Amino acid sequence: MVMDRSVRQQTSSLSFVKNIVTIVGGFGSGKSEVSVNLSRYLATTCDQPVSIADLDIVNPYFRSREAAERLQEFGVRCIMPEGANRHSELPIILPEIRGAIEASATGFGKLILDVGGDDLGARVLSSLADAFREGSYDLLLVLNANRPFTADVAGCIRMITEIEGASKLRFTGIVSNTHLMDETTGTIVLGGLELAREVGRSAGLPVVFLSAERSVLDEIEVDALDLPVLPLDRILLKPWERPGS
Amino acid sequence: MKGNEAIAEAALRAGANNYFCYPITPQTEVAEYLARRMPEVGGVFLQGESELAVANMLFGAASTGKRCFTTSSSPGISLMQEAISYMAGAQLPCVIVNIMRGGPGLGGILPAQSDYYQAVKGGGHGDYRLPVLAPSSIQEAVDLTMLAFHIADKYRNPAMVVGDGMIGQMMEAVEFPEKYIEPPLPPKDWAATGAKGRDPHIIKSLFLDPVALEKNSQVLHEKYEQMKRDEVRFENYSVSPENEALIVAYGTMARICQTAIDELGSEGISAGLLRPITLFPFPEKQIYDEASKKNIKAVLVVEMSMAQMFEDVERAVVGKKPVHFFGRTGGIVPTPEEVMSAVRRSLGAESGAKRPRKKS
Repeated sequence: MVMDRSVRQQTSSLSFVKNIVTIVGGFGSGKSEVSVNLSRYLATTCDQPVSIADLDIVNPYFRSREAAERLQEFGVRCIMPEGANRHSELPIILPEIRGAIEASATGFGKLILDVGGDDLGARVLSSLADAFREGSYDLLLVLNANRPFTADVAGCIRMITEIEGASKLRFTGIVSNTHLMDETTGTIVLGGLELAREVGRSAGLPVVFLSAERSVLDEIEVDALDLPVLPLDRILLKPWERPGS
Repeated sequence: MKGNEAIAEAALRAGANNYFCYPITPQTEVAEYLARRMPEVGGVFLQGESELAVANMLFGAASTGKRCFTTSSSPGISLMQEAISYMAGAQLPCVIVNIMRGGPGLGGILPAQSDYYQAVKGGGHGDYRLPVLAPSSIQEAVDLTMLAFHIADKYRNPAMVVGDGMIGQMMEAVEFPEKYIEPPLPPKDWAATGAKGRDPHIIKSLFLDPVALEKNSQVLHEKYEQMKRDEVRFENYSVSPENEALIVAYGTMARICQTAIDELGSEGISAGLLRPITLFPFPEKQIYDEASKKNIKAVLVVEMSMAQMFEDVERAVVGKKPVHFFGRTGGIVPTPEEVMSAVRRSLGAESGAKRPRKKS
């Protein structure tokens, strides 16, 4: 597929793909879906082992831990609470996560950190901030322009300031992930990208990639964007939804 | 938007600027959202010290005639029952949203529908009912939350919106009306707004005189009879004269049944869905009419609980057709495959019934 090739060329050459990719953003921006798809993408394209850690201590449902089985099929190591704790809303931070951050920061292996929404969710990072080494990680803001509190530049800047304050880490880039669930269109995706770029200019951050559902990307001239694109296959589905439907 | 946020915004758009809450998963985002939005609209956001406090704050706020509401989840709603009964007795309008989780007791945090009896059959003490609205999508959660305030005011009675945890947690696109216009309501000439220049308005549920207490119950009863006449809401999916099976399910469970119905169609099994939108008043006549159709061989009730609505469907069908049940609990959501199997079993097309209950 043309789409896949463009992604492969561009994403694999991206400098942002440091060993640790920390995915944060507003509540409901699509962080988990981006994290899960990015993990799968890296597992199938890069020659290092890939791990994903679910650090979501805010959301009780639709977390990346629900995709663990499918990710393991792709060889992704999933660091997530086990057994009954999987369904707990307690802020569980597995001790392995610190170890994984230190290992990836100093050596080998890609690590995706899927963090809970807003500054509340990002606060968990502050307890781990000393394990991150400067330059070893990316901190990416997933931006959905259709969410109530990130619909304009001012709202996004507030989100960036609040998350940086809570996490004690600095952003390195923005992921444009604007969507309206099943009602997403190419126009909506492009409108969101425009906002992401404005926010980027205002905050001094690059837009590092655009992500959108594969079927919606068909409506867009992806090559004209001059930006890497991560096509999403929805993995965190509602119980009545079928993959690819 | 996320369901919980959409419900919060819908309440604001319906003019409900007084919100009292105590956090509990899976609905805490309502409070999170309103903690930010209420100051913007000059409303009251108050986190009480417990659900008991919250429910009695509602009593106070409702007495002033202002629109007010709370949101909680199953165990929290249990704690509010006393005040809900008091508000029904004192004829006070307010809205209570229950984003249901698995029970009984502390249960779990995953989706469930096991508070059906509590919502529909009372929950608190005394001869009272609550109009209960059950959305199956985020858009409907918005529309029904707004409607709940209208119904509460219209009947001077607490109204309840029930969603399983999925309704609170999932995200869907929503549209809010540009300008919310609702049908005219009677003036709140009963409210406690300061008795300067008039006799005080007494708002209470205490009637020591048995004649007065019985009179109060009769007034309430007449309101509930009027709700049964005027407020029944439901939706049909894929209902046609060829159908052999009728499924009755509400909330997000109904959407899983729709997927099952679509996929059964491709294997030549024709089934339809009747989805109650109001759980009280219950669309019993509509269920009876559908079940009575010549081709219908079986009615199947599907719930995320252990056959609670099943009893109301059985009552509605009055033995006309066999009524079967399929449900999962504990936060386990039935899959479309499980529903398809249950339909086949209820039609006798698959053996090894799991837990059907059969009448007739």
